[in-house]
Amino acid sequence: MTIDEPTIPDLDPVIHAQARLRVVAALSQLNGGDRIAFPRLQEILRMTPGNLSVHLRKLEEAGYVEVTKTHRGRTPATLVRLTNRGRFAFEEYVAALRTLITPGEDPS
Amino acid sequence: MDPSEALDLIQRERANAGRALTPDPRLMYWPWGLTWLIGFGLSFLRYGPGGRVLVAMPEWVPLIGLTALMIAAGVFTGVVGARSSRSVSGPTSRQGVWFGIAWSAGFSGLAVTFGQISEMLPEHLLGLLWGGGIVALVGALYMAGAAIWNDRTMFVLGAWISAVNVIGVLCGPGWHALVASIAGGGGLLVAGLIGWLRLR
Repeated sequence: MTIDEPTIPDLDPVIHAQARLRVVAALSQLNGGDRIAFPRLQEILRMTPGNLSVHLRKLEEAGYVEVTKTHRGRTPATLVRLTNRGRFAFEEYVAALRTLITPGEDPS
Repeated sequence: MDPSEALDLIQRERANAGRALTPDPRLMYWPWGLTWLIGFGLSFLRYGPGGRVLVAMPEWVPLIGLTALMIAAGVFTGVVGARSSRSVSGPTSRQGVWFGIAWSAGFSGLAVTFGQISEMLPEHLLGLLWGGGIVALVGALYMAGAAIWNDRTMFVLGAWISAVNVIGVLCGPGWHALVASIAGGGGLLVAGLIGWLRLR
């Protein structure tokens, strides 16, 4: 992956990777407190389970997503949600992108 | 990935996830629009203004037709709504379930109440009672749904339905069915189209 671009210093390296950005952007569409099942997220993102797992682990390590294992009836289910911290990081990231595109303008 | 590419990617992914997680407004509104157009249309044709029979048909056809169509539309939209929120758990799916229960409870309450007094009413007032009551309930529930999901289109639809219902009821039997069919059913079809265009 050609992801973490050192030329752009202020962008969050955890999010500034195409695959993880997609994951976070999709999760940001869930309302706060809502969790989505892993296979459904995978379906929405069109990612392989292995690929999605890897990126979720990185995001989890940064505290941006929360992955919970639970049971639905007798079948185990893995649920994913964006944490408040992750949502904040995503908003900051989007704001940073906007300032990079139109320098001098404070987006807030 | 330069900043504008990243913003485009975010935009695309959010739109894609939004479409996947929100039921298609066409599938949520159009079955109801057709139900009203046909159901209240039949009622208007059978029990026209001033007691005129515009199209001859057995007197039970409009009410049974409307009831059957409403059950079908209710089941269909229930399944579509549940499908879009499948595999998502938390406050939002609970809101959806509770809102669905509110619809069922409202309709059941009306049906039981009106059922008790229907026998004492002449045929031409029966349509006005059931039609006016159901349309009033639907208008209020759409406005309440709009408040839950902060959905302007849904609020305008609910307000429109509530307003044309009052006008129809005041105009009297026959006219109410016409207003509910054209303005109410039409409003539902337009709301589905607008919602879909916004989501696309």
